Amino acid sequence: MVAVSALARPIAGWRLVRRRRARRTLAFYAFIAPWLLGFVVLTVVPLILGFLTSLTNYDGLNLASLRFLGLANYRRILSDADARFALGRTLLWSAINTPLWLVCSFALALILNQEVRGRGLFRTLYYLPSVIPAVAAVWAWKIILDRNYGLINGLLSVFQPGTAIPWLSEYALYGVTAIALWSGLGSGMVIFLAGLQGIPEELIEAARIDGAGTGRIFRHITIPLMTPVIFFQLVMALISSFQQFVIPLLLTTSGAQGAVTPRSVYLYMIHTYRQLFTYQRFGYGVALLWVLFVVVMALTVLVFRSASYWVYYEALAEEGRGR
Amino acid sequence: MRFGLSYLVLVVVTLLVSLPILWLVITSLKKEIEYLSYPIKILPRSPQWGNYVKAVMLVPFGKYAARSFLLGVTFTTLAVCTSAMSGFGFARLEAPGKDRLFMVVIALLIVPGIVMTIPQFIVFSRLGLTDTYWPWVLWGLAASPFHIFMFRQFFTTIPRELEDAAEVDGCGMQRLFWQIFMPNSKPVIATSAIFNFSWVWGDYFTPLIYLSDAKTTLAVKLSTAYLDPKGNPLITTTLAACVIYCLPLVALFFLGQRHILRGVVTTGLKG
Repeated sequence: MVAVSALARPIAGWRLVRRRRARRTLAFYAFIAPWLLGFVVLTVVPLILGFLTSLTNYDGLNLASLRFLGLANYRRILSDADARFALGRTLLWSAINTPLWLVCSFALALILNQEVRGRGLFRTLYYLPSVIPAVAAVWAWKIILDRNYGLINGLLSVFQPGTAIPWLSEYALYGVTAIALWSGLGSGMVIFLAGLQGIPEELIEAARIDGAGTGRIFRHITIPLMTPVIFFQLVMALISSFQQFVIPLLLTTSGAQGAVTPRSVYLYMIHTYRQLFTYQRFGYGVALLWVLFVVVMALTVLVFRSASYWVYYEALAEEGRGR
Repeated sequence: MRFGLSYLVLVVVTLLVSLPILWLVITSLKKEIEYLSYPIKILPRSPQWGNYVKAVMLVPFGKYAARSFLLGVTFTTLAVCTSAMSGFGFARLEAPGKDRLFMVVIALLIVPGIVMTIPQFIVFSRLGLTDTYWPWVLWGLAASPFHIFMFRQFFTTIPRELEDAAEVDGCGMQRLFWQIFMPNSKPVIATSAIFNFSWVWGDYFTPLIYLSDAKTTLAVKLSTAYLDPKGNPLITTTLAACVIYCLPLVALFFLGQRHILRGVVTTGLKG
């Protein structure tokens, strides 16, 4: 009897563990089921169908006239002068906006990381524009940048009567940059600020005792320790800058009827949007999107590869070793 | 004075940042003629509060606002629940395949969203779900990677003992989640809810492509200027409507500022 019960107990225990494990597995899949199901139905399936669509002449409506075109849509991109122009504009847009946003929000975070009075108030004020929805933000800027009735040209006209700088057409690249910077500054600043506050105070104190000035502390402590945050921000900014198109799109819809997007902000996504929704070229439009996807992913990989040269992960690694 | 230069920069930036908001409010109180006048008039002769009345009366503003609000609340309720559930699964349960699935969640944070948006639209339109509000329900049910990530980060900080104690008491996973984890997660729920609601309320692109003019939301309605009976744009009235349109989000921001800023930091998501 004794022998049997001694043997039975571990087996029962093992069964219990196994049953508990099975129950937890089941529970895990039950809990993530909505997301997993949604991921398959709303992401994986559309992506596959989307890719298939890009191989056809689908117009968004008729299946009767659907024809398989192979890679013709992709070949067409190569000879689409507008697409090439738009990609160039997007690269320029990204090259202006990404660094500008990084530098401005980092600089603001640095200033607010000091013991200045009213820090909380300034932080709130700078974040406020991020809360304003795009539609209202574009209206607010339209009445500043408008060629005839805008604030800037109005004020300039006081000194130089009749000033009518086309901020929203020929110079729209600058106008849209201002709008994008204005709405993005807050979130960038908040993230940098959190990063700066994570820098150990002792490190800066120690450097100061060793006789390092503000400049050297900045170069040799602040910047290296912030590189992981800068890296994260750079990746996110690059990815979102390539998808930008709501601001240029709104500039035209809120203006005169039937106006077209000015050439200076004819971004890649604007071109894609027009192919899709103005000309109903769904096959071609999705092909354009896949090209965008490849370009963005290639850039992201490039940035990730570059990380080993400039992102300082030693602090993290050392912390890990200590544990 | 200490930080003299810093204060100078802070004040200049404050002026630059608040100028568009101030100018929007000031212009919304002008007569249309004052807006169109040359040379420019900075302040209205007398504030035209009537613009705000017209903004609400001239078009069925209330109807559009109610629609945006209901859509936002429906989506938010669903998305918060499903994202929290997935976040709980990833934070607190073990199962084969979990790590790989979490990698998928992380990868989805980086993949440009627009590449998925359009094929999704094609599928929805084939299913006859465009020009209905079902897509918002389905998106809500499907949770969002950003919010799953945020909930997971939060749930990992809740002490294990709570869970063990509950399990000893014979508390099932469902009850553990709804009766112990969720009531203890109010800050992250607030953050997630504000982000989700702001997204729907401010979103211009999705209703633009999905909904017809008769069913569209406030954001799309306000993207074009109000017109007078002769078809001339009423800019200052439209601006007044924009100010009203912004108020709920500004109010939410001031109420939940702490939560929002923390949410921005954990996810990198904009408000």
